[in-house]
Amino acid sequence: MIALVAFRVAAYVRSHRVFQAFLPILVMISIVYASRAPRGAEVAALTDSAVLVIPFLAWATRGLLDTEPDEQRAISATAVGGRLREVAAGLLAALVTCMAFAALTLGCGLALGLSATPSRGVVAAGVVVHALAVLAGVALGALTSRPVMPSPAYSVMALVAGFLMMLLVGASPAYWLTVPVTAWMKAAGAGRLVSELPGLAAISLAWCLAALALYGYLRRDRP
Amino acid sequence: MGSISIVRFFIATMRAALYRYSTMWLAQVSFRYRRRDRYVIEAAEARLSPGDVVELTGPNGAGKSTLLRLMAGLTRPTSGAVTGRPAVVGYVPDRFPTGQPFTVAGYLRHMARVRGGARWEPWAERVGLDGFSDVRLRELSKGTAHKVGLVQALMAEPGLLVLDEPFAGLDRDTRDALPQIVTEVAARGGIVVASDHQGGLGTLDGVRPWSLRSARLIEHPPPPSPGLAAEDPLGVEGSPSAEGPPGEAELGAARGAVTVEVSVPARDLDGFLRRMRDDGYPARALTEEEVT
Repeated sequence: MIALVAFRVAAYVRSHRVFQAFLPILVMISIVYASRAPRGAEVAALTDSAVLVIPFLAWATRGLLDTEPDEQRAISATAVGGRLREVAAGLLAALVTCMAFAALTLGCGLALGLSATPSRGVVAAGVVVHALAVLAGVALGALTSRPVMPSPAYSVMALVAGFLMMLLVGASPAYWLTVPVTAWMKAAGAGRLVSELPGLAAISLAWCLAALALYGYLRRDRP
Repeated sequence: MGSISIVRFFIATMRAALYRYSTMWLAQVSFRYRRRDRYVIEAAEARLSPGDVVELTGPNGAGKSTLLRLMAGLTRPTSGAVTGRPAVVGYVPDRFPTGQPFTVAGYLRHMARVRGGARWEPWAERVGLDGFSDVRLRELSKGTAHKVGLVQALMAEPGLLVLDEPFAGLDRDTRDALPQIVTEVAARGGIVVASDHQGGLGTLDGVRPWSLRSARLIEHPPPPSPGLAAEDPLGVEGSPSAEGPPGEAELGAARGAVTVEVSVPARDLDGFLRRMRDDGYPARALTEEEVT
């Protein structure tokens, strides 16, 4: 399966689709960290970048999964020993790619975007929210990829709507009904992220895993 | 630690060898795309033993590709089950997906790694792909791209080889080589299932003719021995029982069939035979000797 993951990442890079996500992420980093975050606002700046990168990670996932033509997915499934493994290899390839993008975002934030050296707790919180952003991006991108949503127009609208729903519902009292990205930012702005992170992370993780499970379920009948 | 690894490797190897070639069953397999759609395939029943070669025919849209995908494990039946599928499956789609950013060699190297380090070079040489290693997939003609599809499926010594229109677009050399390749896969114990409008596998000994008509899978009696097949077709068909090839009339009588004679212009022969085979009749052209 690792060989199939490498094949899919190689196809994504060689097709140049990687730039469709890479360039917007660079623009986003340039804007978010254009002025260094003031002392004491480090965790808020890192959390903002983690939330803002989610739609680009979803776009990257969608692009990676859609790079492979439909018949190649069938060939890959027989080559790797089954549809389930092919689906898992696609998600793993998306995960690896999104982790690279998230590491770039976090690395630029830590190296260029902060006025003071952050504490270990702040760095750990930044790593956790970026990891959650990766999972949210992969789940949203997978659910809007071609096997699930064949229409490109509906797919793009669903991707944007999915992210907006995370923002809007996450800002409401019913924030637990989605990946509560706005709640992440609110807690970070109020300096409570480290203490509230376990609860927020548990909700986020649960929704991401549910979305990935839904993707796996839908792919059973959508080869 | 080392001995445990060796034992594990041995078990894995034995398991792979055990399940590579196996008897496969289609038990009441039905399929439809959506809940209220009509069935594309209905209650298909079949048993496929190691070494079987199946030639599947049927009109366009009959569901041949769908049946092949069900057999390859790429689509789940709406009801029924496909059991005993060999562990290693090779699948050749009717149109190889050329829209990929690789050269021929680059693509096959990746597929060989996915297949656990299979050797693709001998197969590429055999189907005449060796001169195309550095050519991009996008630049290949339909036939050459189809050869790439064949190589990726054959390199892993599949226990089940599924070919969707394998002769489409192939040059004469590869068309001539393919029946021999299929024979070799079957001789190893592999099951070969091919949808075929061109009748390219009809000359093989022991090929099982299947057809799909009105969502039903029908297995027909095997065609007469290829020794009786035409070398130099004159554009005719079967023979009256008294004048037919030895034993053919008896075979026909035994299965409740009659043999008829039809004369068609030579230029229409291929199309006529194809239509008859699509309709499930084991039609063939007579040799010059049989006519005289």
